[in-house]
Amino acid sequence: MKVRLPLLLVLITGIFGALPFLIPHHVIQTADNEFRNSVLVIIGAFSLVLGVGSIIRHHMDKVRRKREHWEYSWVLLISLLITSIIGLFGGIDGNGSLPTNIGNFHFDIQTIFIRMEVPLGATMFSILAFFMSSAAYRSFKARSFEATLLLLTAFIVMFGSVPLSAYLIPKLPHFAEWILTVPSTAAKRGMGFGIALGGLATSLKIILGIERGWLGGTK
Amino acid sequence: MSIWEKLTKIDRRYIYLMLLLVVMIPIIVPFKLHPKPMPPVENLFNAIDAIPPEKALVISVDYSPDTEPELHPMTYALLRHAFARHKKVGILCISLLGLGLAQDALSTVTNEFNSVATTHADSIINGRDYVFWGWQTMPLVPILGMGENIAKVFPVDYYGNKTDTLSMMKKIKNYNNVALLVSIAGGESPFWYITYAQTSFGVRIGVGSTAVMATDFYPYINSGQVTGMMSGMKGGAEYEELVLTKLGLKGRRKATEAMSSQTAAHLWIMLTIVLGNIGYFALRRRKK
Amino acid sequence: MTHNPWIWVSAILTLGIFSFLYKENPFYRVCEHLFIGISNGYSITFVWHRILMPTLINPVAHGEKLWLILIAIIGAFYFMYFIPQISWLVRIPIAIVLGYGAGAFIPRGIDAAIVQQLRATIITRSTFLSVYNGIWSLVILFGVIATISYFFFSRERKGILKPLSYSGIVFIMIGFGASFGYTVMARISLLIGRLTFLLRDWLGIIH
Repeated sequence: MKVRLPLLLVLITGIFGALPFLIPHHVIQTADNEFRNSVLVIIGAFSLVLGVGSIIRHHMDKVRRKREHWEYSWVLLISLLITSIIGLFGGIDGNGSLPTNIGNFHFDIQTIFIRMEVPLGATMFSILAFFMSSAAYRSFKARSFEATLLLLTAFIVMFGSVPLSAYLIPKLPHFAEWILTVPSTAAKRGMGFGIALGGLATSLKIILGIERGWLGGTK
Repeated sequence: MSIWEKLTKIDRRYIYLMLLLVVMIPIIVPFKLHPKPMPPVENLFNAIDAIPPEKALVISVDYSPDTEPELHPMTYALLRHAFARHKKVGILCISLLGLGLAQDALSTVTNEFNSVATTHADSIINGRDYVFWGWQTMPLVPILGMGENIAKVFPVDYYGNKTDTLSMMKKIKNYNNVALLVSIAGGESPFWYITYAQTSFGVRIGVGSTAVMATDFYPYINSGQVTGMMSGMKGGAEYEELVLTKLGLKGRRKATEAMSSQTAAHLWIMLTIVLGNIGYFALRRRKK
Repeated sequence: MTHNPWIWVSAILTLGIFSFLYKENPFYRVCEHLFIGISNGYSITFVWHRILMPTLINPVAHGEKLWLILIAIIGAFYFMYFIPQISWLVRIPIAIVLGYGAGAFIPRGIDAAIVQQLRATIITRSTFLSVYNGIWSLVILFGVIATISYFFFSRERKGILKPLSYSGIVFIMIGFGASFGYTVMARISLLIGRLTFLLRDWLGIIH
């Protein structure tokens, strides 16, 4: 029951997911749309809530047991709480029951997102530029013909993609574009076939119950 | 330590510092460059230009703050283009964190247009000229659901208005009323649109993608499944160039501003790779 | 320099993340945890206001679509994950979502990723309407076959398979080289964005 019921459900919903593409009858289409717009939306919302709940649980546990760097968990929990209160009671446009401005100083959810979340997220990924430059310097050696080919192509594409190249070597941007349009396309397409077939095989195995990793143990 | 060994062992902090200077100096003292639009960008531009008045352009803002610097200029450029040509625009987000970014771009661009509008007809009005549908859980829900009825997928828009009461939604019901859907994405959502929306409903897809993912979309451009594409900040700059030269619109062009730094940084990266290789080969020869 | 307090907040948070480049430090850790906390608070806001309220709570409160209560109970099974005795119930909503997703992908994935791509690879007479288009299409066809043959490990590489798979490596290296070149562009773009913010919006050095 604990294993059979989920496997049966995955088979039924799997067939139900594929049917609308094959059968255009309005009964199937309507049932499919209703299933997505109601069932999947609500289940998806709960999965997001679970994600947030897991994070809260993990960090509260860290605080309780005073694990390494437990002090920072307070930062996470407090910022989560404050942002949630501002968002839930202040409203999405700042017109909720909780006032989200003091004079001209606004602290609605959109302002917090643009002024705090965006700088944090953008900067986190921007430091990759430094790591990439260091890695490129240390690791990219033309040790073989293949590595040399890779480096040469990278150089052509890197230089061809900046506007200066059009002024210095007018044909270079077009050559870089040709590399992307012809040989790179061929390689990506070849690999894409393999990835697509692998994805299809995995989807079929999931529906047929052969792939059971998602059950998380068969107890 | 010989000079060749030193060449292979430059401390990473010097590399970081040089990269910082190489990127920063052209921002402070830029050299003006006009990017030359490549065919994928031109195709996207022309496809949007060709949207008939009774159909809409849908922009799917599918990126999050981590790719904001690269993709946000594309959203600005697309919105400016669409509003300048009086195209109906629908905006949605597959990624939740794209909501705030889409709202930021919309409010900035609509203010730009409304600050110079002289009549009600010239203004960009929510509900009439654009609808910001918002976000739904599970990407499949909006991607497939919009094929039947957009208002059922998004019963309320981002601002809390009932979607089916908005005047634009009286004519834009589903993908049949959408001429082109452009997915601006830091991840794989354009693939989802191609796989689910295009195969089931035949909607044309355009892509604005990070440079990291851009090479993966070229096979789809070649097959015609993707109508046009902006690749990374360069693609955004090329689109901004088209918006400036063909429409004469003069909003701030963030992607174009970055091109001088981009050029310098690329040259620096190439130089560091060459230096590393010179040291490597010199040492190898010495060992032999 | 700006007097806008929010831009100061953004700049301080930006510098906090950049401080990681020197070494990991408490300032960076605070910023990192702040990022996760705010993004989760933001998620809760929209899930409540734009998903649960219009899709579940409002209809049920008005006596419409009462069967959604059953769906909400199935969704709530996700929380059984925290109760070991009945944690197996979490498999039910997972099965529904996973099964539907896998089923929806199969026919559409075959069409989009295989049939359409095959159609674009195959050479027909119309491909040669333009000479260059024809030549490059032949190169693409050869490249696709060569790339696929490189990943074919069921036979020993001798005879025709040896040069074909080596050609595949050549195409793959060109593809990866192009990807690397574009990856450099992507990473640098992100850095330019942040530095532009610091120099323009915060310090006011550029306009």
